[in-house]
Amino acid sequence: MISFRDVTVTYPGGTVGLDGVTLDITPGEFVVVVGLSGAGKSTLVRSINGLVSVTEGELLVDGVHVDGAKPAQLRRLRSRIGMIFQSFNLVGRITVLQNVLVGRLHATPLLLSLVGYFRPADREKAFQSLERVGIVEKAYVRASQLSGGQQQRVAIARVLAQDPTVILADEPVASLDPPTAHMVMRDLERINDELGITTIVNLHFLDLARRYADRIIGMRDGRVVFDGPPSEANDDVFEQIYGRSLTAEDVLSAEEEAAEAALEAQAEADGEDAASRKATPA
Amino acid sequence: MTAPATAQRASTTRPRRPRPRVGTFVAILAVLVITVWAGDGIDFDLAPLWTDFGRGWFIIQEFLAPNWDYVGRTIGPFIETLSIAVIATLVGCTIGLAMSLLASRVTTANPILYRASKIFLSVVRSLPDVGYGLLFFAIVGAGSLAGILALIFFNIGIIAKLTSETIDAVDRGPLEAADATGASSLQRARFAVVPMILPNYLSYCLYVFELNIRASVVIGIVGGGGIGSSISVEFARFNYSNVSAIVVLLIVVVFLIDLLSQSVRRRLT
Amino acid sequence: MSAPTRPAPRPRRGAAPRPSAPSRLRYTLTQLGVLVLIIVCIVLVEAKWDRLLEAPALSLNYGGLMIEGLLQNPFSEPYSRYWTDAIGLMLESLQIAWIGTVIGAIFSFPIGFLAASNIAPRGVVIVTRQILNIIRAVPELVLAIAIMLPIFGLGPLAGALAIGVGSIGTLGKLTSEAIEAVPTGPGEATRSSGAQTLQTLRWAITPQILPEVIAFWLYRFEINIRASAILGILGAGGVGSLLAQVFERRDWERIGITLTVIVVVTVIVDQISGAVRHRVISGVPVPIGKAIV
Repeated sequence: MISFRDVTVTYPGGTVGLDGVTLDITPGEFVVVVGLSGAGKSTLVRSINGLVSVTEGELLVDGVHVDGAKPAQLRRLRSRIGMIFQSFNLVGRITVLQNVLVGRLHATPLLLSLVGYFRPADREKAFQSLERVGIVEKAYVRASQLSGGQQQRVAIARVLAQDPTVILADEPVASLDPPTAHMVMRDLERINDELGITTIVNLHFLDLARRYADRIIGMRDGRVVFDGPPSEANDDVFEQIYGRSLTAEDVLSAEEEAAEAALEAQAEADGEDAASRKATPA
Repeated sequence: MTAPATAQRASTTRPRRPRPRVGTFVAILAVLVITVWAGDGIDFDLAPLWTDFGRGWFIIQEFLAPNWDYVGRTIGPFIETLSIAVIATLVGCTIGLAMSLLASRVTTANPILYRASKIFLSVVRSLPDVGYGLLFFAIVGAGSLAGILALIFFNIGIIAKLTSETIDAVDRGPLEAADATGASSLQRARFAVVPMILPNYLSYCLYVFELNIRASVVIGIVGGGGIGSSISVEFARFNYSNVSAIVVLLIVVVFLIDLLSQSVRRRLT
Repeated sequence: MSAPTRPAPRPRRGAAPRPSAPSRLRYTLTQLGVLVLIIVCIVLVEAKWDRLLEAPALSLNYGGLMIEGLLQNPFSEPYSRYWTDAIGLMLESLQIAWIGTVIGAIFSFPIGFLAASNIAPRGVVIVTRQILNIIRAVPELVLAIAIMLPIFGLGPLAGALAIGVGSIGTLGKLTSEAIEAVPTGPGEATRSSGAQTLQTLRWAITPQILPEVIAFWLYRFEINIRASAILGILGAGGVGSLLAQVFERRDWERIGITLTVIVVVTVIVDQISGAVRHRVISGVPVPIGKAIV
């Protein structure tokens, strides 16, 4: 249960990230936050686990204040909130398994973790998380050797290993191509369905928002300008949120169509090579 | 036939030549002034090259004829020098790594601790290896222990500076991810920071090891054991050809270690 | 991924077997090797480890004496003499280091070109690099003892020349590496416009490497200050000779004063040099206090 009570976030330079936001998110919801860059959607998501500090107002997660939390309290809180990022943020030089185990650090005593020892129960949890996202065979591979989509799945596994009550995702698919983006969103959807974890995702692709969200929150200039189910969010609503008419960049399937169109143009130009090119796997 | 007046004016006006930068001019002037002052201070005069060359030449001749028989007796001191370098590198680099974590804003949140560490390291680095040699010689007496302790302090300064600069430049993304899982800052340092800087850190350690070999010669001269002591002793006895034998061997050893470290560096990346 | 494909079906839970952990043999052997190395070295070194136990107490004692010396009124005799001697000799060390660096810079610049494989012919490069290697392998101390002191006698000039020759070695190598890292574009463009080799070097290569090379020179200056203190111990001028004297006499108060002068002057020069380096590399002025500490 996440509650924003008149929350304002002002950055050191003076920019206002959130402006008097009040809303509640009930457990198990799949919320997607949309808006232009700088509209406050990233700030909203990052304030929930304290990566961005709240300047005014109250922000509660499961009854615990995030605003003004002391470092130890914040760490405890963060252990229950998992987060995935646009650039995956894995440590490239260590293995997939070790990256997932980072999600168990909060439960490992300092001395043990410093020598790199994890308890068997923690290792088992890590393996189960990898199995759930279907990438366990890469457990001992260096993270930097994986593709973008695979890295994001490892990031999801790391989050699952924390046994979180909330999952935050800050533009999780912006660096991925369309099919992989759908895969990752489907993973998040599945986890939300099967495990009931509250999920808050920050996206700028509107068709993905409509397809996967239970609830869409539209941000503009730090304020909530739309809050409702996808059925109510048609293109007019989005234009209001964005303050401009929609472009192809706002829709993932536009990217897919563009890719298809480019391919066809190339195939025509190459003439007889068209057949063999279409048959080659990506 | 006549082009519009405005278009012509825009294309033929030449920009004024920018004034020469005052800063560069001042800098060059300063360098010249300092050089003259410094040269005068040390009585720069290359005349001895041709007036006293004869006297010097005699000594140089002895240096150019190394006494190869002496080589056998240098093996022991050389091994001692190498051992001193190894121990000092291992201890100094470990402590240096810990200090580098303190000296980087990325891994140390407390600003007081950070400032204090940087100042402490500045001071530690400002004393040359020979200063530490003299200091420890005075505290623990002559011998390799003084050399080891002196080199350890010498290493801490260098490693901490180089490594903390690398940490400052590290990719913050994985650090944020570790924070978001509720890990403590020490855990974050161990699992996110250290793996990312490891290749650079190890190459600094190798660099420091090479420095230690050369520095231990110097420290040996002030009483720190190893090959430096041999040089000092032979020099005092005017056995210049022995000294040059040692030096030639030193060049060979440094060259071999250079090769070794190059191959290790290649394996690391 | 160029063509959109249907995403591959994910394996059912439990379908993929867990991979076995990779062999830790090499890692364990390396750790063991390092441990053995340490033990061997400790044994070989024959150090008087028992002295280590007395060390902390002695250090505190001596440290106290040093601080006492610092706290004495610097304007009263004999302390004012101690301070002026130390400062005067430290300035001399700075002079030695400066001249040495200037010599090193002037000579290493052309030599750097001779050692750069993208500029000089292969034979020249190999020979020059070997010469530089030999210079680098010989500690400046030895250069001073063997060549400079015999010819120029005791005094700062010998130290400056030794440091100068030594600097040529390192600066030559660093300069040649910077030259080799230069992108070929501007050089080719200059060449193809008909410029001669030296002109190409002057106009295409030099501007690109100059900031980096100047930064090397400044860094070398900082190192040379420490080197000149070392050479001073042999009689090559500067504060090193004073240091050797006071340590021999165990005059802890004076040691404290001398060390403080060395540390303070070195830190100040490091700060200034660091700030200038930042300015040269980035082209943006940096306030001195913020530069390093």
